Amino acid sequence: MQTKIIGKVAATENRPTTIDEFYFWTSKNLILNPFDVIKVSHINDSTTYGVVEEISHITDTPSYLTSYISNDFGDVNSISNTERIGMNYIKAKVVGNTKNIYIPVTNGSPVSMADRLEVEKALGLDNIKNPLVCGYIQMYESADDKYKVTLPISLNSDFLIGPEGAHLNISGISGLAAKTSYSMFILKAIQEKYSTVNNENESIAFIFLNVKGKDLLAIDEPNKDLDELDKELYKMMNLTDKPFQNVKFLYPYSTNNYSNSYASKDLIESQMARHKVGFYKYIYEYDKDNLDLLFANIDDPAQTMDSIINFIISAQGNFGSIKTWESFRNEIDDYCKAGNNKADKEIQISSWRKFKRIISKSTKNPIFSQRAVVEKDETRIQDSIMNIKKNDVYVIDIAKLEETMQSFVFGDVIRNVYDLKLGQTQRDENDIPSKIIIFIDELNKYASSDVPKNSPILRQLIDIAERGRSLGIILFSAEQFRSVIYDRVTGNCSTHAYGRTNAIEISKKDYQYIPNVYKNMMTRLKQGEYIIQNPVFRSVLKIKFPKPVYKQFK
Amino acid sequence: MKRITEFIAKETDGVSFKTNKFCLDLISNSAINYEESNSISLDQYGETVKVNKTIDLSDQSLKMQGAEPLFKYFLDGSRRTYKVDDIIYEKKVFPIVAGQIGVGCCFRENKQLKSAILEMHNVIALPESSDKDGNFRENYFENLKNKICAIDILKKRNITFSKVLVYHEKKLQPGQRYENFGIACIQDEMIDKEKQVVASLARNDKLDQNSFLLKDGSLEYKKMKTGDYKDLSVIKSNYQSVIGASKSFNPENCFDERGKSNASIIAKLPLYHRTPAYLYTSHITGDVKFAIWYVRIRDSKFTYSPFDGILKLEKILITESEQENGLESELINIITANIINERNPVCYGDDSRWANHLYPIYLTETFIKSKYLSTEYFLNLF
Repeated sequence: MQTKIIGKVAATENRPTTIDEFYFWTSKNLILNPFDVIKVSHINDSTTYGVVEEISHITDTPSYLTSYISNDFGDVNSISNTERIGMNYIKAKVVGNTKNIYIPVTNGSPVSMADRLEVEKALGLDNIKNPLVCGYIQMYESADDKYKVTLPISLNSDFLIGPEGAHLNISGISGLAAKTSYSMFILKAIQEKYSTVNNENESIAFIFLNVKGKDLLAIDEPNKDLDELDKELYKMMNLTDKPFQNVKFLYPYSTNNYSNSYASKDLIESQMARHKVGFYKYIYEYDKDNLDLLFANIDDPAQTMDSIINFIISAQGNFGSIKTWESFRNEIDDYCKAGNNKADKEIQISSWRKFKRIISKSTKNPIFSQRAVVEKDETRIQDSIMNIKKNDVYVIDIAKLEETMQSFVFGDVIRNVYDLKLGQTQRDENDIPSKIIIFIDELNKYASSDVPKNSPILRQLIDIAERGRSLGIILFSAEQFRSVIYDRVTGNCSTHAYGRTNAIEISKKDYQYIPNVYKNMMTRLKQGEYIIQNPVFRSVLKIKFPKPVYKQFK
Repeated sequence: MKRITEFIAKETDGVSFKTNKFCLDLISNSAINYEESNSISLDQYGETVKVNKTIDLSDQSLKMQGAEPLFKYFLDGSRRTYKVDDIIYEKKVFPIVAGQIGVGCCFRENKQLKSAILEMHNVIALPESSDKDGNFRENYFENLKNKICAIDILKKRNITFSKVLVYHEKKLQPGQRYENFGIACIQDEMIDKEKQVVASLARNDKLDQNSFLLKDGSLEYKKMKTGDYKDLSVIKSNYQSVIGASKSFNPENCFDERGKSNASIIAKLPLYHRTPAYLYTSHITGDVKFAIWYVRIRDSKFTYSPFDGILKLEKILITESEQENGLESELINIITANIINERNPVCYGDDSRWANHLYPIYLTETFIKSKYLSTEYFLNLF
């Protein structure tokens, strides 16, 4: 590529060049964008690379009044023979120097566009270990074709799924940010990369929770609407355009009278024909220990609900002999009756009544059942998770369940994954996938700062965020507003992806260390564009990704 | 490292005083320049249609808005002068005056100004006594200049001096100072450079009836017939498409038919009106005649003084017919309407003379100023 000089460095009294940043002027007609990489000739024949941060236009107008006067004292029809002298000046952040010379670039040094290799070098992408593609960048989008640079972006997977760093958090407005699509893009890239790896320390299984409509209910079917351009992009990134492999869909058990899923009958039948389906149920005998999960979002300052749950789990009263949910509800009924003398005197009847209100609606859902018939593809989530294998993708559908039930299922999933990884299974340790990636959308339901601090799900999420890296439990989470998520969860994510968001959100303290121009760009990102922050990148990057490879429901 | 003044003292057998170094320039912000000497008599018309009232050009300028402007080139010259030392020759003390001369010409294309010609020169003015022999003076000072350019302090900084000028040693009248003689010869050198730039534009066919040059200041060069460009007929032909626009002038030099000062005709000039053009024969240049007229480009209600917002325009009368009958009134109207259309943008806030400034000239001036060495840097060479 030809080198095109686009401006010169300007070091002024007020704005000197520094080790970290410099300013350069350029033509007001040259279209550059934040995140574009530029290079500057520096001393000792070295080259300093910078990333465009802010672009300003300036004229010699000292005040607005001058502008007003220059139009014949406010005549909007005034035409002048000469345009005011004006130019753009650009603030660039230094990201590297070819000879590691970091003294400030000097005034008047020519600034040029970089070619593909130089962009890779500048962004530290040329020598990434364990590369895992996370999108592509396009630079100088408005320049002539010969100057445009498109290149895939890879991050070091050690910093995404361990052992160096773990967890991904994605934030952005629903729909506009395409959070699910981007999560699936990265997860598909991970599955492709690790499906062929035979190292037992790098065996990965996936558990996705489907929380919206039919979003993830056909991730094993190809996207027929994928156009040639998208296919080319996948090729450029060294990825196939095939959908997810080894997928199993776990639907909440439904009856003829009560449907628990948005999946159509045809869809489920076609998946059943391919033996890719399981219908999950909760059996009192095995799952009563998870009752606390139904209370995840209930504020319980006096811990009365906690006391009742302990009472039940520890098989006090008649609870030790109960085998079904119905008997359980009946027993609770008894405790709620006025004048009963069954209960521990410390638990008041009003507390039992509150307990009843919360559990009775949920436990009447068909998923709370007597037994699971394996021949009919019925299963318990615990059983499924305990048998998860390398490369398996479990999609657990919770979209149609009411919120308390969603929390219950999600809590159960992470609890079981924890048990599996902590060895609460008879399986050979080498047979258990070394890493299990859990993807959950709408994280705000489980880990927002509004969630009661004693929520068992929040406790588990914090534990995964803090300890998951070493246990091999990786959390890929998404939410609309990152600022509402509990600090200890987001703070432990090594990689952050910011999609389109709004002005109120970026004013929150979570965004205080992101330069203003990037923050403002977050409010203008298009669908399919993300700003990525990862420890291996020298700067945050604006990346793009193509349309999903799996079937999209319209 | 030897400084320039020490070197000059040694080379010219003088004694350097190493006195205080400072800038000699004063900037006037007033549109009124009482020092301007040329007087214009209102009974001598400088245009073909002789009327005794101001001419309204608001309609004409409005019609011309958006059309290709007449002025394509803009010329400005400026100099900065410094007293850099005092030197003794034969028990007499003379100042050494140094200067930076900048002459720039910009051209306008698609409403944007670009540099066409830029002449930057550093000069030193010495008294006549600095040449002790007095023979072959030109060669002597040319050699001296070459020697000065070769001294380390300049070579290291890649700075050159283009001329060593000589100022005359006359007996000083009360109020006269040798510094002013030095400044005058630096000013003359600047004017010569201006003439050189105009000649270059004319030689390269840049100027014609559709492509005028607008020069900052008067066209009446005090030393029209000196310097490298002294052939009047050549000068005249070079200035066929050149207009001089002065931001400041002496309204007291405008006389009515009875010979009394008539500054009020200028002060009361309505917006976008011009005065009739008057004929002026330069006392200095002898047989060079000018058409001079005034135009108001800003409403006086927005300016501090009634003379703010008024430009003095002049054009050299070239042909015999012009010299006898004055300039074509229609041409004056076109020129003036074009000047009116140059009124925007303004440099309000940057330059207190904003009401009298034309933006392309202001930009040319700013361009030249941006090329000067800073005063501290320049003075420290001496």
